[in-house]
Amino acid sequence: MIEFDRFTLNNGLKVLVHHDSSTPIASVNLLYNVGSRDEDPNRTGFAHLFEHLMFGGSVNIPTYDEPLERASGENNAFTTSDITNYYITLPKDNLETAFWLESDRMLSLDFSQRSLDVQKSVVVEEFNQRYLNQPYGDVWLLLRPLAYKAHPYQWPTIGKDPQHIIDSNLDEVKDFFFSHYAPNNAILCISGNVTTDEIRVLAEKWFGAIPSRNVKKRNLPIEPRQTEQRVLEVTRKVPFNSIYIAFHMCNRMHPYYSTTDMISDILSNGKSSRLFQSLVKDKELFSNIDAYITGDIDEGLFVVAGRLNNNVPFDTAQEAIFQELSDLKKSVASTEMDKVKNRFESTFTFGLTNTLEKAMNLCYFELLGDANMINQMVMQYRSVTADDIMGVSSQIFLPENSSILHYKAENL
Amino acid sequence: MLDRTIAPPTVLTDSITIPRADLTNLPNGVKLLVINEGEEDVCRVDMVFNAGSRYQKKNLQARAALTLLTEGTENHTSKQISEYFDFYGAFLNISVDKDFARITLSSLGKHLGNTLEMLSEVIKQPIYPERELQQWCKRGRQELMVELEKTSTLANQAFFRNVFGEQHPYGVFATPDDYNNVQQQILKDFHTSFIGSNNLTIILSGKVGAPEIDLLIKHFGSSKWGANSIEVLNEIAKSKPDLSKAFVEKPNAVQTAIRIGRELFHRSHPDYPGMLVLNTILGGYFGSRLMRNIREEKGYTYGINSFIAPFRDSGLFMISTEVGAAYTEQTLKEIYYEINRLITEPVSHDELLLVKSYLMGEILRNFNGAFAIADSIISLLYYNELKYSYYDNLFKTIKTITPKKIVEIANKWFQSNVLVECIAGSVKPQESEY
Repeated sequence: MIEFDRFTLNNGLKVLVHHDSSTPIASVNLLYNVGSRDEDPNRTGFAHLFEHLMFGGSVNIPTYDEPLERASGENNAFTTSDITNYYITLPKDNLETAFWLESDRMLSLDFSQRSLDVQKSVVVEEFNQRYLNQPYGDVWLLLRPLAYKAHPYQWPTIGKDPQHIIDSNLDEVKDFFFSHYAPNNAILCISGNVTTDEIRVLAEKWFGAIPSRNVKKRNLPIEPRQTEQRVLEVTRKVPFNSIYIAFHMCNRMHPYYSTTDMISDILSNGKSSRLFQSLVKDKELFSNIDAYITGDIDEGLFVVAGRLNNNVPFDTAQEAIFQELSDLKKSVASTEMDKVKNRFESTFTFGLTNTLEKAMNLCYFELLGDANMINQMVMQYRSVTADDIMGVSSQIFLPENSSILHYKAENL
Repeated sequence: MLDRTIAPPTVLTDSITIPRADLTNLPNGVKLLVINEGEEDVCRVDMVFNAGSRYQKKNLQARAALTLLTEGTENHTSKQISEYFDFYGAFLNISVDKDFARITLSSLGKHLGNTLEMLSEVIKQPIYPERELQQWCKRGRQELMVELEKTSTLANQAFFRNVFGEQHPYGVFATPDDYNNVQQQILKDFHTSFIGSNNLTIILSGKVGAPEIDLLIKHFGSSKWGANSIEVLNEIAKSKPDLSKAFVEKPNAVQTAIRIGRELFHRSHPDYPGMLVLNTILGGYFGSRLMRNIREEKGYTYGINSFIAPFRDSGLFMISTEVGAAYTEQTLKEIYYEINRLITEPVSHDELLLVKSYLMGEILRNFNGAFAIADSIISLLYYNELKYSYYDNLFKTIKTITPKKIVEIANKWFQSNVLVECIAGSVKPQESEY
């Protein structure tokens, strides 16, 4: 049970406090309700570029990192399709430094042209490092637009094309800031040896005077129902063939979300899972295979990804995967259900063993509607039945709901 | 009115209480370290053997013998074993580095009795079935071939080879062909020689107490088992290669991987704490000189870092980055410029104070939560034979080191002719000197 207190400032900032007296380190997590799904299709990658700019100095403080490091702090951030999340760990005694820095950049950035120019270059190198200079690195650049034709999940967080980053300008940066970065579009959580009263005082002092803003209303295109299978084949200089199959699935708040997540666990969580045992060990068709959900807030994807053994043709590999998925529609043993539930409980519990993990998760569940969902997750997964698994499998695993990428090795 | 230009006051941690593990010797002589921390019902058992790759007679022998422990015993098949651990939601992680082999079991406390039972069986009675071995080799070969497509892997391997020499255990790497040549018998030999109570330390962490300790005694601590006489290898002399530069061509790579550094020393060396401060200034944190210059001012890279990595008998200093192919030469020039600055110019008191504050926070973060504490104590065990004074000494040096001392250390260890430079990418850069 993770206990917490919750209050909202007049400007709309939601604040969560979790008390943990076991450590001298406090964690501060600040989640902004903006991600790459909120981008202009001609400026993809912008939310992530913006995350970099948040470290380029704010209106009253020329540098962000240096004062934090002077307070023995460490920080980082990440951007997903749905959110942009900033976090700090520092000695509890220096907690106010975190409030000072985070509130000033929520108040306003410095909007420096120099910072924009340098970070454009840094982000282009990040694009190169992660997506172009790695074997199989461009898979998501290919798979997303295959699966999505309308919804902005069709581009990855890094963006469709580095040119979008290069073309962006300072006016767009300002506009993005004032449309999305606002106390009424953010959730703050402090976790550590703190009291709610002291956090209330600090929150009022540093964030209280920041005005609410007109946050751009989210009005995203709805992905039309897919009606026929899509297949894309590409050839790259990699050593082995790989196959990726993406199925549309429900959104994060749908009652079937936990069921769908558990289906991916039955298929590939752990060495005893179905796909590994059947397709890697028994049939020796793949050298590795994985099934997972993208975990997005809007309707996401259920993905099966496998690397083919030499001399296994794509159609054999693909057929074998579809056969495994079909089997899920027929029966699931009760021990198998118990196993994935136990594993979920274990993974979830191990994921909440320090102050930072707790602060991040509390913010995310609060965004979904209620931070207390964190305490209901294990029960929610425990209540899924074998019938649910078979029912959802029957709905999702249809050829006409699939987008398939054949990633061919050049020299095979 | 709040003046936002003024930073709130901060305090510099002036003493750090390093959590210690309770040390006991189990009835059979196995050393047990216990760290009881945390509220959630989770625990971790780490089993450390002196059984790293330096003890092997053939490439992959140590890794195969350890990784394939879970692939079958007299009583259970590979599938039954994985079903068992998965059913209890337990995670088993096996890693083998140059010096040590480590088996980590993460389990909900309520299932520890069951999970230890199977752990004991796989550690003591593996049979290494032929079919599982062949599959492991085939998969491992494929994974390695994918790894070797990365410029970062190519540059790393070249660097270790050039620093330690290909004959030295710290400089040798398995090749894809090595996977065609792993026999069942050598796994059994390795197991018989190195896996046993005489060669084991156990670290138990999480929400743990007497019942968990009793379980460990039952399975691993009552009587002697396994390999009986183990000779822990001494330091191996290295045949230093002459090559100070290497270039590995990777056609069409859009980025170049750069590794620059040298062999250093292990953690008990008197220069180690000072070197840690120096390394932080150069490339050990986000505000470091390399990061500021090469990322935050020039935008040549997504990231550039430097490390000092300790081994049991030695250590390493390494600068590591991936840069846009067109920026390779400028980046090398800037790296050498920054190293040269450390040698010639005392660091300002202000910059040094910043680095000291940051490092003290890092030490605190190393002890944030039961498993972080366990990891820190395991690293003490690996590199200092559990001398907790290491942290006191480190803390004292961080507080008192002067700019003059840092220049001295830089001069002593970073003269240009001792640095090794390894590059993997599409275009070989022009020579650059400093």
